[in-house]
Amino acid sequence: MRVFKFFINLNKEEKWLNEMAKQGYSLSKKSCGYEFTPIKTEYAAIKMDYRRFKKQEDFEDYCALFEDSGWQHIAGTKHSGYQYFKKADESGTEDIFSDVPSKAGRYKRLSNMWIGLAAFYIPIFAAFVAVGFIELAPLLDPKSLYLTPGLWEESGAAFWGAFLFETPFALFRGALFALFPIMIMLFLIFAFKANKYYQSAQSD
Amino acid sequence: MKRDKNLPLTETVYYILLALVEPAHGYLIMQKVGELSGGQVKMAAGTLYGAIENLGKQKLIQPVQSEDSRRKVYVITSRGAELLRLDFERMQQMIEVTKGILK
Repeated sequence: MRVFKFFINLNKEEKWLNEMAKQGYSLSKKSCGYEFTPIKTEYAAIKMDYRRFKKQEDFEDYCALFEDSGWQHIAGTKHSGYQYFKKADESGTEDIFSDVPSKAGRYKRLSNMWIGLAAFYIPIFAAFVAVGFIELAPLLDPKSLYLTPGLWEESGAAFWGAFLFETPFALFRGALFALFPIMIMLFLIFAFKANKYYQSAQSD
Repeated sequence: MKRDKNLPLTETVYYILLALVEPAHGYLIMQKVGELSGGQVKMAAGTLYGAIENLGKQKLIQPVQSEDSRRKVYVITSRGAELLRLDFERMQQMIEVTKGILK
């Protein structure tokens, strides 16, 4: 079973995954959406960390530490950031974090990732604007997205025919211009939200 | 004498450094910290991993050659050992002075 969902709040995501597990669906993979496999075994706690790794050996070492201490790594890769663990046996600790600052720290890393993503796209966007690949004018003047000569001087059926015909193309052009600013805004909002969760998690 | 800005060490950092006087990998550190603290300090995997990463950045511990291909092995550095000793002396001072007052 595959489910598409998006979270910024790791606690909410954990809660949802644990509810899915209670209903008999255990997370088996996360790539494009969440993949679940039906489980018969009794409910097992799922916990999340957020961490990216530069080297494969660091990732292996990280997974080995969790497995040694009773937490099976069920989803996540070296670069995915999101790491999912399932409690493998009774011997392990209750949680994958034993103090408040380290549990809050995952939100700091998450927030930094969103800022990094925004910081990555801002210069690209600026470069596209500088070379004229993306024009800012259409955002302020949507009429300029219509390229039919003399369109705005037409009237009646001739106008509406040409206008409606070109609207899908204009929307497409507009979306292309708006895509970068919207993406960058979203990344910054996500970074801001994750940082808010970081601050509130610290005072828990 | 001016005190080192890293002092006092937190309880978990102190026990991790103490555990790494001899080389150990992550899970062994976790077990040793539990034993050394008489079961008082129980570290979970995520917390320990972050602590190891931080201590490595501060050059208080360093990775050493390991026979285990999956698990990294760490050992305390001379700087780490120095801090451990300074914190031990700091606590000894506290114990001495307390002994005299609380009888």
